[in-house]
Amino acid sequence: MMVSFLALGGRCFYLQFFKSKHYIDACSRQQRSYKSRQPQRGVILDCRGRVLAASNKIQIIKAEPRIIDDPKEVSSELAPIIDMGAHVICKLIVDRKDSGHVRIKAGADPCECNLASRIHRGIAVESDWQRHYPMGRLAANIVGFTDPYNRGLEGIELKYDKQLSGSAAENIFFADFRRRPIRLKQQEGTLTNGVGIILTIDSTIQQFARDELMKHYESYEAESAVAVVADPKSGAILAMVSLPDFDPADIGSTDPNNFRSRAITDTYEPGSILKPVVSAIALEAGVVNKTEKIFCENGSYRGTGFGRIGEYRRGFGNLTVREILIKSSNIGMAKIGQRLGKDRLYEGLTLFGFGRRTGIDVPGEVDGLLWPPEKWDGYSVTRIPFGQEICVTTMQLTRAFCILANGGRLVRPFLVRAIVDNNGKITELKRPPPPVGYIIKPEVAEWVVSEALADVVNEGTGKRAQLEKWQVFGKTGTANIARSDARGYSENAYVASFAAGAPADDPAIVVLVSVRKPNRALGKGYTGGVVASPVAAKIIERTLTYLGAQPDRQRQMFARTRNR
Amino acid sequence: MSQSRFVFVVFCFTAVLIFAVYLRSANDRIFYELCAYYAEQSRLKQELGTKQLLLESLINPAAISQRVDKSNTDD
Repeated sequence: MMVSFLALGGRCFYLQFFKSKHYIDACSRQQRSYKSRQPQRGVILDCRGRVLAASNKIQIIKAEPRIIDDPKEVSSELAPIIDMGAHVICKLIVDRKDSGHVRIKAGADPCECNLASRIHRGIAVESDWQRHYPMGRLAANIVGFTDPYNRGLEGIELKYDKQLSGSAAENIFFADFRRRPIRLKQQEGTLTNGVGIILTIDSTIQQFARDELMKHYESYEAESAVAVVADPKSGAILAMVSLPDFDPADIGSTDPNNFRSRAITDTYEPGSILKPVVSAIALEAGVVNKTEKIFCENGSYRGTGFGRIGEYRRGFGNLTVREILIKSSNIGMAKIGQRLGKDRLYEGLTLFGFGRRTGIDVPGEVDGLLWPPEKWDGYSVTRIPFGQEICVTTMQLTRAFCILANGGRLVRPFLVRAIVDNNGKITELKRPPPPVGYIIKPEVAEWVVSEALADVVNEGTGKRAQLEKWQVFGKTGTANIARSDARGYSENAYVASFAAGAPADDPAIVVLVSVRKPNRALGKGYTGGVVASPVAAKIIERTLTYLGAQPDRQRQMFARTRNR
Repeated sequence: MSQSRFVFVVFCFTAVLIFAVYLRSANDRIFYELCAYYAEQSRLKQELGTKQLLLESLINPAAISQRVDKSNTDD
């Protein structure tokens, strides 16, 4: 008797002092049920407040296959309510026999949910957030997309995933024996919805750019095409189109290569489009002046250490810097490069931002390629000035032309204008600080833009970009693509590009269009002047009209009246 | 006298108890109504969000441009 009591007492002591935590935990688990509350993911808006991405709550009808004994009966009861075939529902339930639950219908209306939840205890209704992209393909390469768990996978959705996601909370309930909640016990964490992001993109300008680029991309059967529209004074990107693109509502059937924003991820040798930048560096360094004539040979320039340089057309003889740009003379640029020397050329290109990321707010940006001068040879100093032996992104070129267009001031391209809280109040302005430094003197930049590059459009290779209302400035580029299987360049593969802006005397926008591998066999042309410049001109015309920019004649008249 | 006083006290006590029960149930009812209104408000908010998204998908520049192209082709 005594031993029994002692054993009982010992067991009680053991349970009380050694196993108490275990039983308290088991008891708590039994009594409580947990329900996680997911925050609403923040919206992404364009600069005029139009929705590019937003989350909305939807009702999902789910089935728990493990506790459905007769899937056929449940399916046939459920089918007329949710307007789906019974065999489809049955297949969903039977095929996923092992899983915890299976989605039957997402986006069900309240009436359907109400009726469906009464059919069987294995059919339940749950609400969840669904991401919508009302603009579809229009800004897909910029905005990106999320996975089914609302995690950002590309673009702004990925870059600002943490801010857009917010923070989840968990409700802990006292539950009955069927795990149904009776009363809220406590809440763990604070439910905070994600913040909103306002971009600098204007979806109307984005549409103009996409429309025009798409026409030429399709008509020239190009491999890919890119267009960027930027405000040269602030560096704000107003449009950034990348083709081929994708539909964010149909990610599954899209080639992952189409997800990327080619303006920042794809590099290429820019070709002649780089010439204005090198000319500006040379004018700034004083190695050449605006009136000086440079002998551009008669179609061929050969020398020790840099091989032979030819022109695309014929020889040009003596040319000024302005004429070199208008006629796009490779030999003239090679001679300017030789006068600059490798150190000054390298330093100038670095100041313009080549060889390093622009720091734009989209993931995946690459540096491009600008070798340090120690790795240069005689070829480099004569080839880089006309855009060979250097790899750039379209965004880097856009920034370089923004610098020229705004009088030589350094700008940083940016895509996110502000972050707003759930009440629409701006909490953080993401606009970079106003530029302070000058890369080149304003008079040099102004001369390059309003004299030389304006004449490229008036008399030179960019004639197709002329507009009636505004003086356009620009530079064409037709760059050979280097062969991947052998040395040298392909004779049939080109990148046709055109960098432009308007109005030339006070540029409001800079547009860069780049079309990769237009089909030369079509016989419609393949050069920047033919393929890319009409696209840029159309984008400029539609954008300036939309922005309400005054035509040149009106502005000149207004200026004259004011001066009087 | 003492009996009527006793009846009065019992009456008052019962009345207080009934009133307390009434207050308690009124509190529960109002709380329930509040929750129901709150749920209804968030449902309406969601519905508004859905409608707004629908509207956005109809009036955004891409959709308008598509419709204009379509009507031009039809003409």
